[in-house]
Amino acid sequence: MIKISLRSYALRRLLYIFPTLFGISIISFALIAASPGDPIQIRLGLWIGEQPDYEEVYDEIGFEIGILDENGEPIGVVIRYFRWLGLMKNQYGVRSGIFQGNLGKSWFFTQSGNDGKPISDIIVGRLWYTLFLTTPAFIIGTILATVIGVVQATRQYSMWDKGVTLASLIGFSMPVFWLAKLVMLASFYLFDFTGATQGDAFTEPFITNPRFYLFLILPTITLVLTGLVFLARLTRSQLLDILRQDYIITARAKGLNERRVIYKHAFRNAMLPIITVVGLALPGLLGGSVMVEGVYGWPGLGSVFLTSALQRDQPMMMATNFVFGAMFLGFRLLVDLSYAFVDPRVRY
Amino acid sequence: MSLINEAIIEKETRILDEIKLVEGSNLWAIVMRRMKKSQMGMIGFYIVMALLGMALVAFLILQYDALFGLNNPTNDPYDILNYYIEIWIPGTQKYIRLIAHPRYIIPGDQTLPPNAQYPFGTDTRGFDILSRTFFGSTLSLVLGFVGQITTSVLGMIIGAVSGYFGGFFDDFIQRLNEVISAMPGFILFIFVVAIFRDIAQSIPGGLYMVIIVIFALIGWGGTSLIVRSKILSLKQTEFIEAERALGAKDARIIFRHIIPNSLSPVIVVTTLGIANTIIQIAALAFFGLGDATAVTWGDDLAYHRDNLLTYWWMPTWPALMIFITILGFNLMGDALLDALDPKQKS
Repeated sequence: MIKISLRSYALRRLLYIFPTLFGISIISFALIAASPGDPIQIRLGLWIGEQPDYEEVYDEIGFEIGILDENGEPIGVVIRYFRWLGLMKNQYGVRSGIFQGNLGKSWFFTQSGNDGKPISDIIVGRLWYTLFLTTPAFIIGTILATVIGVVQATRQYSMWDKGVTLASLIGFSMPVFWLAKLVMLASFYLFDFTGATQGDAFTEPFITNPRFYLFLILPTITLVLTGLVFLARLTRSQLLDILRQDYIITARAKGLNERRVIYKHAFRNAMLPIITVVGLALPGLLGGSVMVEGVYGWPGLGSVFLTSALQRDQPMMMATNFVFGAMFLGFRLLVDLSYAFVDPRVRY
Repeated sequence: MSLINEAIIEKETRILDEIKLVEGSNLWAIVMRRMKKSQMGMIGFYIVMALLGMALVAFLILQYDALFGLNNPTNDPYDILNYYIEIWIPGTQKYIRLIAHPRYIIPGDQTLPPNAQYPFGTDTRGFDILSRTFFGSTLSLVLGFVGQITTSVLGMIIGAVSGYFGGFFDDFIQRLNEVISAMPGFILFIFVVAIFRDIAQSIPGGLYMVIIVIFALIGWGGTSLIVRSKILSLKQTEFIEAERALGAKDARIIFRHIIPNSLSPVIVVTTLGIANTIIQIAALAFFGLGDATAVTWGDDLAYHRDNLLTYWWMPTWPALMIFITILGFNLMGDALLDALDPKQKS
């Protein structure tokens, strides 16, 4: 019974992601279209080398990036958007857009000459780095935060509790990028290793490369710490609220031992608000992963996004924004579905 | 028997205390008294007040320079004589300077570690870091305050209108909110700032004006949701009904009754949000999208971000100030949350 309803709920939520992604793409496309500055000039400015015939190259590039047609006339925003989606034929007479899995070509990341790399290749290549960094950090952070929160709540006002509260308050007030720098500094003095990534760490295939895991350590620690300080505070306060409830007193009055009271009665009920909090912390964690990647030079999606933002690589920014939105929605779907596993009362 | 009596007496004294706390004063006096009970909250409050005082003093001193100083008409950073402000300890020689103009380049004294003459050291550009930190407080705090208050006011108005009228506008706002909140905040912020950075040249106030406007335009969602849900429950209450029966216009009901009644959660969100705003804008500067000519902590930190191992004092002071500010606002916000909503604490 519950299995079927869970499946239909999951399906409904999955289908619900698509209008939101559509909205994200409309908003980012409209923002880029409304932005000041001539995109062709920005594209030209990213060229390396001299440009002898500016006027000629201008029309050529405008045609190539799909802003001008063959006669040098500008193309309307709606048409460009439909071309980007892949619903209309582009300047070369092919339907090639997001529905076909093609996100266009980057302006800044180029292969030979001025030919931009296909964005989908870059994203597929870099996405694994980001997932390899964020997913373990996220899971470790959640588990550690839960453990610390439980320990704090069960020993309220002990030295442990006060110390951890103070530490998490300090960590909570620390900007993520600065925390990353401090972790680097500490590691430098302790191990003579800053964790700033070097080329040999990313020789493919990175999964079998031991250097890769060495450079994974410090960014993961930073991400875990940032997630931890946020989640542990909330776990503690949620669990404290629940420990004051009447059914906990009943459980104690029944003569259950303390361990059973906490893990069977209190903790299971605290899971639900904790999962809500984890869902709320998701955008912060993704933003934090961008900052951490930026500081450590981790070649994931976040640093691609930062570079493209600094270089005004518009198609790349558009695509990464879209992918981050999709990632966030996917994670949130997982969090929402995990309600059903934790709380048997939840039926959809 | 005596045990029960003691328990009753204890309960009575507690109730009497609470009555003494509440009687004969308005909401804010009560909140203030409740906050005074929380030690950490008061620490946060004092930190925030001290920082605000510092920012105000720094602003006034800088205005003095703008009014009576020579004001560096050509805006040449190497023109030493035209930056007028100097504050030194009375009775000492003038070269033991406490604070100089934030753009005053000390000739020949670059990259000095903290010492008696320059308590925070000097940086690679030849600026006195104590002065930079002191004068940087104004813009850093103003950015946090203005950015977050604009966001909250915008969210309040949108939430109030959409909750009050409902219908198509409400649906539209809800969908828009869902889409915006589906993009992780910091990433969207960088995205929009990177695209619209060029407007800054043609707008009075420069890049940070653009950044604040963008921040408000993408951040109103949270506040609007709070206000909207509050309004949906308030709309059915009798006093709104009575006001409507008396012939009040919608605008009066919204601005005189609904918004004041939903103010307290918004105030907590705003206090905690100021800390977040300061972090976000500093992070923006840190990753190279700030205004390098402005005197703020975030920009100083960004300029010296790679100097931590070689010249530790250069990035440390601005980072420490950002940290203290955020700590103060977080402590105050937590205490305010407890003080405004004592029921939740039980």
